[in-house]
Amino acid sequence: MDYFSFFDLPRKLTLDIVALEKQFYALSRRLHPDRFASRPVAEQEAALAQSSLLNDAYRTLKDPIARTQYLLTLEGVELEEQSKAATDAARASGEQKKQIVPPELLEEVFELNMQLQEMRAANKMGEDEPELRRDLMTAKDAFDAKMVETQAELEGLWAVWDSGVDAGDETAKGRAKDAMVVLLNKRSYLRNLVRDVNEALGI
Amino acid sequence: MAYSEKVIDHYNNPRNVGQMDKASSEVGTGLVGAPECGDVMRLQIRVNPETNVIEDAKFKTFGCGSAIASSSLATEWVKGKTIDEALAISNTDIVKELALPPVKIHCSVLAEDAIRAAIGDWKKKNSVAETAAVAVAQ
Repeated sequence: MDYFSFFDLPRKLTLDIVALEKQFYALSRRLHPDRFASRPVAEQEAALAQSSLLNDAYRTLKDPIARTQYLLTLEGVELEEQSKAATDAARASGEQKKQIVPPELLEEVFELNMQLQEMRAANKMGEDEPELRRDLMTAKDAFDAKMVETQAELEGLWAVWDSGVDAGDETAKGRAKDAMVVLLNKRSYLRNLVRDVNEALGI
Repeated sequence: MAYSEKVIDHYNNPRNVGQMDKASSEVGTGLVGAPECGDVMRLQIRVNPETNVIEDAKFKTFGCGSAIASSSLATEWVKGKTIDEALAISNTDIVKELALPPVKIHCSVLAEDAIRAAIGDWKKKNSVAETAAVAVAQ
């Protein structure tokens, strides 16, 4: 059973988190081991299994990114497989593979990694590079801002997906799905970068 | 998961790390990324305009050991090959050579993408039609 059906929810992405939480607590109480203490072992085990499914489902659905990723997996998106398939297709046709990450972002990621490498080397030598540190801080602010933008964009795509579900519009759903894949890819780059920059700056 | 000896060798002694002049008409640059792990790979080739042979290749990769080894190996392999021969290199060849485990196959895919992107960039600069080159390769 998938997590959406576990909570009796349609496969939509805009979610009432407060209602979800209430449902989670109600179900948690109902499945609590104390209530099954005097029941047969089989029933105890079944309750335990349900309870662990409940926890996984809740954890996944309450987190906006995990929820989106989960839905995409349910909808048959396999990021790595798709990348490999696209490479195979490019080899067979001789055409350029379309990169899933926008080239400008890749440039930025590459440049920032160069600076990070310098910063780490300086850290190792026990030296401070105030100028480099300043550059990295600026870059970090820019990437932080982009992360916020991504969130807003993602919510916009949820709306497209959800209304596609309501209307039974497969084209709209497909469009939203593809756009969400691109966006999540972009986001994982940004997230890793922010993490690496924080680490190099010791913040 | 343990890295194979070949991966460790390429990781410890990466071949052809560096960069070439992006603006040169003889140089093709491929910049590719794998968002699942945040890897970025830049691979550059310098092509002899008379013979279409790749005379030099350089790379710079930010990523895991397998990504570095895959791109290091890719630069070794493309050197001395013609453009069309280099286009025939597939990620499966890289996986076999480096004995990459399934979870690291995307690193080899990235290396193949980088080769193709670099060649694509060179072709664009030198206005070589994509389809014509494919016909020769087959």
